[in-house]
Amino acid sequence: MSEPVVEIADASFGYGGAPVLSGVSFEVRAGEAVALIGPNGAGKSTLLAGLLGLAQHEARVFRVPAARGEIGTLPQSSEIDPAFPVTLEQVVAMGRTPRLGLKWPGRADRRIVAEAIEAVGLTEHRGTRFGDLSGGQRQRALLARALAGEPRLLLLDEPFNGLDHGSRDALLETVRRLKAQGVALLITTHDLDLARAVCDRTLLVNGRQIAFDETGCVLTLERVEAAFASHVMEIDGHTLATTEHHAAAHGAHHHHVLQDDGAAGAEHR
Amino acid sequence: MTLDFFSRALLEVTLAGALAGLVGVLVVLRERAFFTMSLTHATFPGAVAAAMLGVSIPLGAAVAAVALVAIAVGIGRIRSQGPAVASGIMLTAGFALGALLQSLSPLAIDVESFLIGQVLAVTGADIALTAVLLAVAIVVWAIAGPHLVFSSADEGGYRRAGMRPWIPEAVALALIAATVVAIMPVVGAILGVALIVAPAAAARLVVRDWRAMLVVAPLIAIASGVLGLVASRWLELAAGGAIALVAAAFYGLAWLWAEAARRPRGTIETRTPWRTTP
Repeated sequence: MSEPVVEIADASFGYGGAPVLSGVSFEVRAGEAVALIGPNGAGKSTLLAGLLGLAQHEARVFRVPAARGEIGTLPQSSEIDPAFPVTLEQVVAMGRTPRLGLKWPGRADRRIVAEAIEAVGLTEHRGTRFGDLSGGQRQRALLARALAGEPRLLLLDEPFNGLDHGSRDALLETVRRLKAQGVALLITTHDLDLARAVCDRTLLVNGRQIAFDETGCVLTLERVEAAFASHVMEIDGHTLATTEHHAAAHGAHHHHVLQDDGAAGAEHR
Repeated sequence: MTLDFFSRALLEVTLAGALAGLVGVLVVLRERAFFTMSLTHATFPGAVAAAMLGVSIPLGAAVAAVALVAIAVGIGRIRSQGPAVASGIMLTAGFALGALLQSLSPLAIDVESFLIGQVLAVTGADIALTAVLLAVAIVVWAIAGPHLVFSSADEGGYRRAGMRPWIPEAVALALIAATVVAIMPVVGAILGVALIVAPAAAARLVVRDWRAMLVVAPLIAIASGVLGLVASRWLELAAGGAIALVAAAFYGLAWLWAEAARRPRGTIETRTPWRTTP
């Protein structure tokens, strides 16, 4: 089995005060994708920030790639002002900056940037101003920026949000290709089907770690319910109204509801 | 080699224009125009104090700039007091302090030359300082350009990539402060911001790539300096004011150009052919 790129044991993450997320133990191996799943406020972003050294952590074991450029990130949405005068190619080239430091980019760097742009299917737009791209294209450009750093570990924060079907399939394909190249990926998502499609293992959290195991074993009704208490979500194409939500909505107690979308819609009306 | 006063002034406005253009791109990309404005005013008391003490005026201005940047950073860190508040306080306090010092001075100080410049009286030392800073600005852009642009465009991304945004920020602020001091003889403390911000802002309106801004902004700033200087000689105007006005006029032209380029051409029918097809 390939070596772990990330190895975390008995870790808690936070920003000074009480930890946002605690009791976390997991690993991500080279060529493996791990899904990070939990409701809003569960501590997913804090965990990602902790891995980057931007949030505090306490841990028995804490091993993450430390050299510059070894961790690539894709934010939920672009933070670049659309009016900023940069082309797509220049944004992607930013991904080389951590590795280059103050050195000038050479031929090899330009080739890596071109390949990263090609990998996300935006070669024809490389001279386009970043702000003139569509939202989906900007996300793909930022993914290319992360790839241009040739990361050992890639942190993708809700990468499937707001993508149309075609872009989603393209992204899934990119994830598979990166895995084949030996890149370790940690992907936060709300979409359990996508987690099943590409993620070998899943880390389920909600303020603490609920489970970490093979995706099929983790995404069971009980565990998802434990993580998503008082939330409604989809599982296996059905809408799941978990105990607390259902109790709040209908006054019933300790009662799992698993039904198809249409019926759920009718019930909530 | 000795130059007459007008040739010296021409050389100084050319160097100062190139410097102001290059640093102006930094100001515009990092959205530091108001900070620069405050800084130009904040250097005023330093210049007055230096004149009173009989020491180098750029040195006095530089000391004041460093002190006021430190105060601004301190105020900016106070919760609920953003950098705009800090810049606003710095601007008025700096200017007030300069006026106060001047009123206390037993000597007659030519305040106007600090405020709007006196390019026809530039010395060899002024020119040398501008030339050295221009070289520094070129080297900084050449070496650290990608870092300056990355951290300006996406500070969060820069931090997540494992780099420290305060370093390009400190380099940018230092370069801006040094430029404000160096171009004081040309356009003075108050008008300095026009030569720094207007050409770069105009460049941003007409080009779509920051590398092109680095060429266009210095050219506009040099043209502003030279045209302003020549106009001031012909029309017997104050050179600093003429230079600042030409720079502002370039910005106005760039804005008109950008508006014209943005407006769709042709009639509604030619732009929307599906409307006319039956």
